[in-house]
Amino acid sequence: MSVRLLSSDSEDFTVAKEVAERSMLIKNMLEDVGDNDNPIPLPNVTAKILRKVIEWCEHHLGDPVTNDENERRNTEIDEWDQKFMEVDQETLFDIILAANYLDIKPLLDVGCKTVANMIKGKTAEEIRKIFNIVNDLTPEEEAQIRKENEWAEDR
Amino acid sequence: MHHLRTSFGLLSSSQKQDFLTELINACDHSMLTMIHCLVGPKLKVDYFRRLPLELSLHILSFIDDPYTLFQCSRVSFVWRSILMDESLWKRLCLTYQYDQKPSSLPPAQFYSPDLSSLLPPSYQSHFRRCYQIDRAWVLGKAHLTTCPNDIGNALVTSLQMDEEFIVVGCDNNHIEVFDATSGAHLRTLRGHSGGVWALQFIKTKSQCLLVSGGCDRDARVWDLRSGKLLHVLQGHTSTIRCLKLKDETTAVTGSRDATLRIWDLSTGRLNRVCIGHQSSVRCLDIRGDVVVSGSYDGTARLWQISTGECLLTCLGQQSQIYAVVLDDHRIITASLDSTIKVWSIDQGGTCLATLHGHTMLVGHLQLVGETLISGGSDGCLRFWDLNRYECKNRISAHDSSVTCLQVDGHHVLSGGSDGTVKLWDLQSGQLVRSFTQSGRTVWKVECLPTKAVVVIQRRSHLDRDGPFQTAIELHDFAPSSS
Repeated sequence: MSVRLLSSDSEDFTVAKEVAERSMLIKNMLEDVGDNDNPIPLPNVTAKILRKVIEWCEHHLGDPVTNDENERRNTEIDEWDQKFMEVDQETLFDIILAANYLDIKPLLDVGCKTVANMIKGKTAEEIRKIFNIVNDLTPEEEAQIRKENEWAEDR
Repeated sequence: MHHLRTSFGLLSSSQKQDFLTELINACDHSMLTMIHCLVGPKLKVDYFRRLPLELSLHILSFIDDPYTLFQCSRVSFVWRSILMDESLWKRLCLTYQYDQKPSSLPPAQFYSPDLSSLLPPSYQSHFRRCYQIDRAWVLGKAHLTTCPNDIGNALVTSLQMDEEFIVVGCDNNHIEVFDATSGAHLRTLRGHSGGVWALQFIKTKSQCLLVSGGCDRDARVWDLRSGKLLHVLQGHTSTIRCLKLKDETTAVTGSRDATLRIWDLSTGRLNRVCIGHQSSVRCLDIRGDVVVSGSYDGTARLWQISTGECLLTCLGQQSQIYAVVLDDHRIITASLDSTIKVWSIDQGGTCLATLHGHTMLVGHLQLVGETLISGGSDGCLRFWDLNRYECKNRISAHDSSVTCLQVDGHHVLSGGSDGTVKLWDLQSGQLVRSFTQSGRTVWKVECLPTKAVVVIQRRSHLDRDGPFQTAIELHDFAPSSS
């Protein structure tokens, strides 16, 4: 059985129902409307991102669901997902927003872990470079933050 | 330029692509480098500025390293405000197992220190404090105080510490009392006419009661704050080898005369005599209204403290029992026969398991939830899983006997007759570090969440050929700022 999805830029996608149902949002919608042939409109997701999301859902179709909070948090990103997330920052940003909107928790986790991994172990200056951020803290604020956080310098 | 931009805006997407491709193809290397520098930053995203707060926090939930979090808080104003979110610090407290009651949280640290006491408690400051203490333990960043004493080469038999006092019992008949913050010697309690072998103190509403016992067969009850002797508990016909307090009114003593005696501390009167053991009572543990005794007759017995009645007897250890611990359902004994046995209280003293592994006398037991830690004269520490009755870690901790063993939180401290003190991690069983400068032998160790006391015999650093002295070291891991 297949489902039709309509991206915000009006591209029509036909995907297997169990693939679409990786999204809790779509799953609930399907349960509400029952069987019908109308495409489900996804006004927050562009075709470009929806294509990525569908690719991810197809690859992870058979994944077991984990409810173990520690396991979910501490599992490393697998090789396929790492490759999948090798995209520019804007695309990654859009994938995270789409995963959140579509309610696909494991994809949201992978996206957020990818950003977290870009941050881990970096200095503030390195982080600013990575994400092109301008330091808008005053010298006084910086001094205050440093003073409050001396404790975290022991590694 | 304006005209060009307007025209470009009117092109279709594919026309724009073709146009740009043409332009780029017409650029030389230095132009391309310039384009690269212009475009690079534009493709970057300040996630925390643009994502909803909950998603920023979700990203941060995958970061447990305080160093990284600190760096994040320095990135920009937006990042800093997100890093102040309490839910993040609450989760970190959970992850690091920094348990707490909300009421015990210290106030948040804010810009004005004068306001801080008015602000609600914060998980961030709680985490900060706990993490600082944690790191101080691991890195050995303690404030070290040596308590002045003239114990010399006397045997130190017993030690207890709380936030206020350090109390040391010696075989030279004396009890030395020190201030647990400054390390200052407060007083010497004199009165025993033989070596002191066991002591314990307890705080009541109005005073701090110390009970001590030893070779002179009498137990003594002291007011620790004034040093005044309150009662002499007479009755045992041989050395008091062990004692435990049930609460501020009841003490249990175990003696080489094979009996236990239960005393009323408010009146100094004997309540009960527990008769049954055939030989010296070596060790005790109390839980609620029951006390378990381990004896040189190879049995452990469980007694009701209020009635003095023997509830059950654990028969089966091949030789003298040197250590005993108790929880709601189990009694665990350790023996000269090098085994540890687990007994069921619910099943009337049935032996549930025998833990083999030590090759000599097992003299020390510490029970933490479902983990049992044992220390033996073979110098080994063993961590046991009591659900499976399996040895999780076998550690060659000391060159000779383990002389003392204490657990607090996730810190395990052991001392040996090889003169070393070592700190172990409760979860992993790994050595964290050598705890202090080694000596000739380690008498006792005791730890609390923020401090540890080591009583060790070593030569004075001033005179390498001089006599052995007893050093009482107070290691304080509390951050100095708070």
